[in-house]
Formats: sequence, C-alpha cells, structure tokens
Amino acid sequence: MATTDVKQPSSPVTQVVAPTSRLKSALANQQLLLLIVWLVMVLGFSLKSPIFFSVDVAGNIFADWGPLVLIALGELIVVISAGIDLSVGANVGFSGVIAAFAMKALTTAGVASTPTLLIGVLVCVVVGSLIGLINALLINYAKLVPFIATLVTLGAASGMSLVLTKGAPIMGGPAGGIMLSVPWIGPFSKPVLVVIVVVAVMWAFLHKARFGRYTYAIGSNAFAARAAGIDVKRHIVKIYMLSGFLAGLAGFFFYLRLGGGAPTSGYGMELDAIAAVVIGGAALAGGVGRVSGTVLGALILTTVTSGLIIVGVDPSWKRVVVAVLIAVAATLQALRKSEGGAS
Amino acid sequence: MRASTTSMAGVVAVAGVASLLLAACGSSNSSSTVAASSGSGSAAAASCNGKKIAFVMGAESDPFFQAMKVGATDETAKQGAELIWQGDPKEYSPATQIPVVDQVLAQKPDGLVLIPTDPDALQPEVVKAVAAGVVVANVDTHVTDQSQVLTFITGDNADGGAKAADAIATGIGYKDGTKYKVVVGLTSETATTNVARLEGFKAAVAAKYPGIEIVDVAYSQSKPEVANTNVNNWLTKYPDLNGIFAIDGTNGQGAAAALQAKGLTGKVALVGYDAYPDNVKLIKTGVFTALIAQDPATEARQAVDALCTKLSGADTSGIQKAVVIPNVVLDKNTTDADLTKYTYVA
Repeated sequence: MATTDVKQPSSPVTQVVAPTSRLKSALANQQLLLLIVWLVMVLGFSLKSPIFFSVDVAGNIFADWGPLVLIALGELIVVISAGIDLSVGANVGFSGVIAAFAMKALTTAGVASTPTLLIGVLVCVVVGSLIGLINALLINYAKLVPFIATLVTLGAASGMSLVLTKGAPIMGGPAGGIMLSVPWIGPFSKPVLVVIVVVAVMWAFLHKARFGRYTYAIGSNAFAARAAGIDVKRHIVKIYMLSGFLAGLAGFFFYLRLGGGAPTSGYGMELDAIAAVVIGGAALAGGVGRVSGTVLGALILTTVTSGLIIVGVDPSWKRVVVAVLIAVAATLQALRKSEGGAS
Repeated sequence: MRASTTSMAGVVAVAGVASLLLAACGSSNSSSTVAASSGSGSAAAASCNGKKIAFVMGAESDPFFQAMKVGATDETAKQGAELIWQGDPKEYSPATQIPVVDQVLAQKPDGLVLIPTDPDALQPEVVKAVAAGVVVANVDTHVTDQSQVLTFITGDNADGGAKAADAIATGIGYKDGTKYKVVVGLTSETATTNVARLEGFKAAVAAKYPGIEIVDVAYSQSKPEVANTNVNNWLTKYPDLNGIFAIDGTNGQGAAAALQAKGLTGKVALVGYDAYPDNVKLIKTGVFTALIAQDPATEARQAVDALCTKLSGADTSGIQKAVVIPNVVLDKNTTDADLTKYTYVA
C-alpha cells in the first residue's frame, strides 16, 4: 500500500488534505455562482410581486430552510465520504413522532412546558442518532452499500411511524411549543437561530477539524485513508450518527412548527437534501463539497418554494426549476473534474 | 486503488440515479403487503358463521381505513365471520393493490369487500373473484362495471365539499354583496377524493356564495409541513384572507399550526376534513371552524352485513345496489357524544 502511494505522489488523498489553490478557487466560484443565482431569484420574485421582498416572506423561507439545511448538512458529510443517506427524511418523521408521544405523555402527566420541550429535543436526537448507528452497523458489518443500508432504515422508520400513529398526527404536547417557531429577531425564529449556530459548528467540524479531514480522505479513497491509519469503520459510525442526529433535530424543528408530530413529515425529503447538496457543488462520488454550498443550495430550494406561491405560479414548477439547477450544478462539477484530470 | 475508487463512485452514481428514478415513480419502498389482523367472532345469533370475509382497502396508513377496520372487525365478529384485512401499507395504487387481491383470493374467502384504487384496473379482479364464487361488494370507490357487484357503499366527497362551503360561509359570516377571499389546500392534483371534494366545494360556492372568490390552491404532497408553508405564504400574500378549506387531515394540521402561530385563530375560518382525534380537539379551541367527517366504520358495517345476508341465503331484496352515507359536519355546536362517535380511532 505504502509503496503504491509513493508511486502516485498526486494521489487523491494528498490532493484533498491539502487542496490545490486551483481547486479552491473553482469551489469558490461555485459558491459565488450560487449566490448570484439566489440574488437573481430574489430580484425576479420581488419584481413580479413586491410583497415577496418582505420580512414576512423571509420568515417563511427561513422556516423552511432550517430543517432542510439540517438534514442537507448531514447528507453533505455522508456524500463527501462517498456514501448516501436515504433515511434522513423518514428519520425526521420517525424521531418527531416518538418525541411527540413522549411530550404528549409528559404534558398529560402535568410536566411543565420547558422541561417537556427539552426532553422532546433529547428524544429526537437520540432516536435520530440511533437510526444513524443502525445505518453504520449495516454498512460496516452487514457489508451493505450505503444506498441499500439506508433504504432499509428508510422503509423501517417510515413504516414504524405509520404503524405507531395509525397515520394520524400526534399533538397534545406543550401548548407554547408552536409559538417558538414564530419569527423573533427580524425573519429569524429561535429555532432558526439555533440552526444557524449548528451550521457554524458543522462548518468548523468539516473544514477546520480532524473530523472533516478524515471524511474527505475516506470519500476520496477509502483504501488510502485506511493505509494512512484512519479507523474507517469508526469514522463511518460517526458520520452516519451525525447525519441521524441532524435529522432528529430537523424532526424537532417540524414538531415546533406543526405543534405536533406527523408520520408523513419529512417523507421524500432525502431527495431535497441530496438536491441541496448537489446544487451546492458536492460530488456523489465523494471527496468534494462545502458547507457554504449546501447552505446556499438549501436556501435556493426554499426560496423557489415560497417564491412560486407568492407570485402565484403552480408550485409543481418547483420540480422543474430544481431539476434544471441540479443538471447545471452537476455539469459544472463534471467539467471541473475533467479539467482536474487533464493536469 | 484507483480502480476500486472508480467502481465505488460508479455504485454511488448509479444509486443516486436509482433514487431519483424511485422518486420519479412516486413509489415508496414499502411495496410489500402486511396482513393486519384476522379474528373470528363467536356470536350466537350470527348469520355468517364460519364464513371468511376479505377486505382489501386502499392504504393501511390512512386513518380513514383504520376507522373502517374498526367497523369491519366489529361487524364480522358480530356475524360470526372471519375477517381477512389486507392492503398496501402506504401506497394507494392499483399496481400495489392487484397483487394483494390475488393473494387474498388464494385464501378462498366467501365474500370480498374491495375498495378499488382504480375503477378499470381492478375490474378483472372482480371478474376473477366472482368466477371463483366469491360475493363482491365495493366500498368508498367502485369498479366501472357494477353488474357483478352486490352493493356499493360510499361516503359522498362532492357532498362533503359542498358542506365545507356552507361551513366556510357560516364561519366568515357570509353576506351577499361582500367580497371574500378563500384558499384551498389539497394533497395532489390527481387524488380522486381531492378532486371530488374540490368540485363539490366550487359548485356550492358558485351556486350559493357568489361573493366568495377561491383565490388560490396549492398541494401538500401529504406532508403537513408543506401544507404549513403554503398557508404561511398565503397569509402573507393575502393579508385579508377570510377562509381556508383544508381538504384532508394533513392540510388541516399544517393550516391549524399556521393560524395558531400567527395568532389568527378565529379570524380566518378554517374548515378541515376527516375527524383525526387531535384535530377534533381543535374544534373546541376555535382553531377549526368545522371538520367534515366521513363515517367509514358504518360503510364497512353495511358492506359486511350485505355480504352476510347474501351468503346466508336470506332474502336479498333489501340490499340496495348503491348506498350513499352522508358526511357529517362537526363544529362547536356538535354534542360531545357525536364528536366521540365520528372521531376516527388512533
């Protein structure tokens, strides 16, 4: 192994641990492009319907952005490690439902609002992380590819949500919960501000810490990463548990917004997360992706949703717009890759 | 090393494409079927003793069908029959339903209550069942050719939509000559129940409430958070919005949350559909002006009763070819007893 590394001085691992300045600038371009796309969207929607450019609409957009960016960041880490997590959407619904049952029971038992909500968020992230742990165990020890492993947990979690709730929403939790999702400072509600802090932490994790270096290394070349002394299996556990943790947090976010848990919450949301990640410039082949890209990718998706409703265009057009964005982003990614390969 | 990296990338890329394809088909992962329950009653005066009655419904996850199951379980137990209750866990589609019907017919039931997810696609299954000597009834929806079907029992979605229009008009204090803005939250453009309810609603508005303008509709794709986003944006776009018709439980939950968060409870009339227990509670607090409830348990009871009458060889002249069970409007004037009666089990 080591000799092979010597023979290939420009092996992917070294490339990623110390990204070349050109790769860096190319990625920076993608972020700038996304920012321009987003600004053009905001301008376009505002010109068509001036009410779009308001704190109210921004509040709606951020309320959608919060849970999406949470699971998209989890998805980003998984994608950078050359995996995929299809279970995040089902995880959102399942963790929200379990927490809703817990909070309903506590409220019925007369427990006050704040401790109930704190236990609720704890239940969400624990349940979410456990689903992530199951994913990792299936990948590491049952030797399933991530697509299949997370397809298994997607089915199990969404099925269990329906079985446990019989399809009905579960409410009856703390009465004040729903008011937490109301904008607090400008368009930002308290949960959205928490999400912004989480985004900052995730940025540091991925771009400034060993966790991130390992993740990129595994996604670029798992064999080389193992040869370099990284405990790949252990890191896979961390990655999928973190993705599950973030999905659980998104489940709690939805709980606050809806004042209850719903078994169909988050259904199919894994595809929105993957879309945000791909639009943000990550490559499904692994080793590439930035937090800032995913954050903007998620923001663009939620801006389209609200924008189309406000200007009064059939929201089904969102799918078409998103499809075009994915095609463009993936093409840029492919061009960048082939350019890199030619050197 | 390089080769293996490439192959891994390939796998992931294929996986990504496959997941998009899965999404494009709108299919869920749970295409398997689950036998929910089968119990046999032992009532003395049963007319259906030892008979097997199969129920194949649309989608197990829907509380509507859960409520129907209660009626089916009750009535089969009372009649001394064995109930075979089956259907796809989540998907309301002929593609998943047809194999379930085949599987059920292989168990040689005496009677079959079928809730066809498509009037034409399920027709051959009815022909097959009747050829095998099984007596068939339809509930909720029906196959195109009703000649071989003993009876068809349904709630009336168009009537439900019309009742929702009346409830909205009451909720906003409708007066002729005044203009009102109303929006409708739907699940999808194609769900037949949605279409029928919306048509009933529009027809009633046009006929009786010319001052009401339906300014917008949007789709939730069965997700309450999407319904919530839709309503939040409507409240921004139409600050003078008067009413919301949330066409199903999911839209009801999303709209109820939006009104509560924005402090608009009671200011914007909200009429929902389906009596989920937690939504029924919100009638008391004024979040829902009214809920339109169906009575799936009664639909199931009547279907089982009709089948048992036929199977026991009794006089079948009392069995009607088509029975419509009216929807019920639940609002703050509804008695507690009625609220309990019509609330779906969960």
